Amino acid sequence: MTARVAVLVFPGTNSEEETRDLLLDCGADARIVHWSEAASLAYYDAFVLPGGFAYEDRIRAGAIAAHDAMLDVVIEAAQAGKLVMGICNGAQILLEAGLVPGSGEIRRPTAAFTHNAQGHFICERVLLRRTVAAERCAIAAALPEDALIPAWAAHGQGRLAASTAHLEDIERGGHVVFRYADARGATDAHLAPQGSALGAAALTNREGNVLAIMPHPERDAWNFNHLDRREGADVLAPSGGSVLFGSFVTALERW
Amino acid sequence: MGERAFAVALKIPDNEAYTAMRALQRLGIAVAHVRRADVLVFNGDEGDETVRERIERDETLFNPNKHRLEQLASTHPREGEVWIEMLDAPRSAPMRRLVSWRLFGGADEPLGGDELDAACIRLLCNPAIERAIR
Repeated sequence: MTARVAVLVFPGTNSEEETRDLLLDCGADARIVHWSEAASLAYYDAFVLPGGFAYEDRIRAGAIAAHDAMLDVVIEAAQAGKLVMGICNGAQILLEAGLVPGSGEIRRPTAAFTHNAQGHFICERVLLRRTVAAERCAIAAALPEDALIPAWAAHGQGRLAASTAHLEDIERGGHVVFRYADARGATDAHLAPQGSALGAAALTNREGNVLAIMPHPERDAWNFNHLDRREGADVLAPSGGSVLFGSFVTALERW
Repeated sequence: MGERAFAVALKIPDNEAYTAMRALQRLGIAVAHVRRADVLVFNGDEGDETVRERIERDETLFNPNKHRLEQLASTHPREGEVWIEMLDAPRSAPMRRLVSWRLFGGADEPLGGDELDAACIRLLCNPAIERAIR
């Protein structure tokens, strides 16, 4: 049976359609679910929290959404082992909810994706490389070894920050699934365009079923996103960052 | 002149304060009213009026169409109030910028310490990046 994926929409979410479309292209049965429909979420096998500005980033990015009724369902599902992926603002929500890195209590965050070091919004194409073993994170497990994932870092608050002790836990616990990389695949903290600690672009939880990724792979996911780097004749064909969504759907089929 | 604190608050409806109130109520905290403001703490030799004029002239801090400016009696939070400051904000800067949250109960009384603590821990402050000043 095709896996059912809910793409969650809070007031202020703005990337739900491309997220849903890419999931559909990768073979999932993906549907957009609005905040007023939280009761319907039990029907779904997995959840994706897309980018945007949920609740206008009131208090902090992701803080209000982390306490939304939809997150009650997502937290319960994540604790039951279902797959959850948050992109950009979705990633911020997962950290505010305490699901990632998951070293504290639920809804007691121990880390955050916060204000960029340069103090303003950035929008630039980046490359990501998985820096953990394939089996560490189910969502990224089906990626080709050493694959470079193109994505767009489009955020004002994408810098991982935490106390020294928590950053050590994040590093030691293998929570950094993706780091910013150069074209040769080298990773180094200085490649993080916003000064993210550990050069981190994406974190997972202890169990590896939740992924919080700051850059947008879905914005570099079809040939029409990069006509100058076309990888096939069909402008509508998935490419580039779609491999991560493909890996997500593969994980769902195995789940 | 030492430290002086000014509050820049909305005089139009504050949707963010309302959202915070609803979220806190959902968490079981008995709050009936929330007021939010940017708190600007100045440290220097300029007179109060000079500082006030500087704030009023800075469009990134103050818009006369939607803000009111008030000099605070103290550089510390009042009863029922918490100030949130980013951990990486320089403490010795000539101007520190914080966010004030004032929480009130049903009789418009400032919220007590335990409930204010709960509000900070559960929503208003992410200790990974912020500190709460009481």
